[in-house]
Amino acid sequence: MLNIRTSTSATASVGSYQLALQQLVDSALPTGAFVHSLGFETYVDAGVVRDEASFGVWLSAFISQSLSYSDGLAIRFLYEGWDAGELDELLSASLLPRQVREASVKMGLRLLEIGAEVFPSPDLDLYRDLVATGRAAGHQPLAFAVVARSLGVPLPEALTAYLFAAVTSLTQNAVRAIPLGQNAGQRLLRQAADGVAAAVERIPHLTPDDFGAVTPGLEISQMRHERQRARMFMS
Amino acid sequence: MVVNPGGAYLGADLFVLDIEVQDGADLLLTTQSATKVYRTPGSYAEQRMAVRLGEGARLELMPDQLIAYREASYRQHTHITVRPSSSLVMAEVVTPGWSPDGAAFRYEEVRLRTSIRVEGPDGIRLLALDNLLVRPPAGDVTGLGFMEGFSHVGSLLVVDPRVDQALADDLHALAQDHDPRTGISLTRTASGTTGLVLRALSNSTGELNNLLAACTSLLRKRRHGQEPLNLRKH
Repeated sequence: MLNIRTSTSATASVGSYQLALQQLVDSALPTGAFVHSLGFETYVDAGVVRDEASFGVWLSAFISQSLSYSDGLAIRFLYEGWDAGELDELLSASLLPRQVREASVKMGLRLLEIGAEVFPSPDLDLYRDLVATGRAAGHQPLAFAVVARSLGVPLPEALTAYLFAAVTSLTQNAVRAIPLGQNAGQRLLRQAADGVAAAVERIPHLTPDDFGAVTPGLEISQMRHERQRARMFMS
Repeated sequence: MVVNPGGAYLGADLFVLDIEVQDGADLLLTTQSATKVYRTPGSYAEQRMAVRLGEGARLELMPDQLIAYREASYRQHTHITVRPSSSLVMAEVVTPGWSPDGAAFRYEEVRLRTSIRVEGPDGIRLLALDNLLVRPPAGDVTGLGFMEGFSHVGSLLVVDPRVDQALADDLHALAQDHDPRTGISLTRTASGTTGLVLRALSNSTGELNNLLAACTSLLRKRRHGQEPLNLRKH
């Protein structure tokens, strides 16, 4: 099996983890992100999110809230040495809308599986063992953080890559669902990049008390999605 | 009954409550009036509450609404430990207080952090972490994704052996007859115990209180067996 850290001089010259990180956050990575709206479909159904501008407002809120206080903070705490099992339980407990909790675990389990195939490490084995023995659920940000840390990806780069990958999947989903033009999708990504950069700046300053903070609006929409009659997405 | 000391919370005030409901005991805990948080220059006002429920113990925690006035900063930390056979119902409403210019959301920060743990045969597991944070100076809190144009937020947390999807469906049906924009979902299951969370937005304390009262009435009715318990599973 290829070990990326002892790979050829060509990859070493662009940073030993660069290509691995690109593979990990590529939207073609088969984690099933294309079936999750993480609540924006509720707004689409209500006609509140209906075009480029209104999806941009939702995306910006999602980056500054859910992606910062849950995913981003979980990644940072794992890098700082918090126990993966403890963080896993915190995520399962704080992701109160059932579909969002299930989405995080579905994508997390796929990422753990792919990680074991292509970027194995002792830390990944430990987390997979917690999951296999029912002591952890297997959440996406933790699966990502365990692999990224084992590859030697520095925290700011790991956060940036993870957040932007999440934003890219959601935008691609919005392009199909609303629908939006492909160029509108690219403009949204360019705009979301500023939100991602701001979140990466802010996450190191958050406190453990901030973990899992939510706004009522995003959360209620994620909950209401369970009862939406016609839907394209599982969350 | 918790009597709010001094009438209101001010800067750097710290209130500590420790409540234990013993095995088989039944407690309804409410406040004497709304919890008001006035300006808190210097440091936030804080309430820390630890709650422990024994086997078969029942607690209904129904404080009046929290009113956060202009330049108020408030943090509430609630740590609850239940047994798989305990029954907990907790309802809360947060409202922005009046300010001289008539605008809502003049408070600095309201943070209500509630953790619920289940002490079962396999140890203590974290069931739910509800971390509601509204921080108006950090940007637009009124719009899409935040308060959705509403000013008041209400929450209901239920942990009881009888919580299941059918109960969530029944509460959802009930909420359809009320005005607030409501979401309901089930928490994770830990030690065989599942919780239910309801979150609602509105522009009126009265509307939220009506919704929460209707939900708690339904729960009570079920509890006392005045209506056959429906154990169907989905």
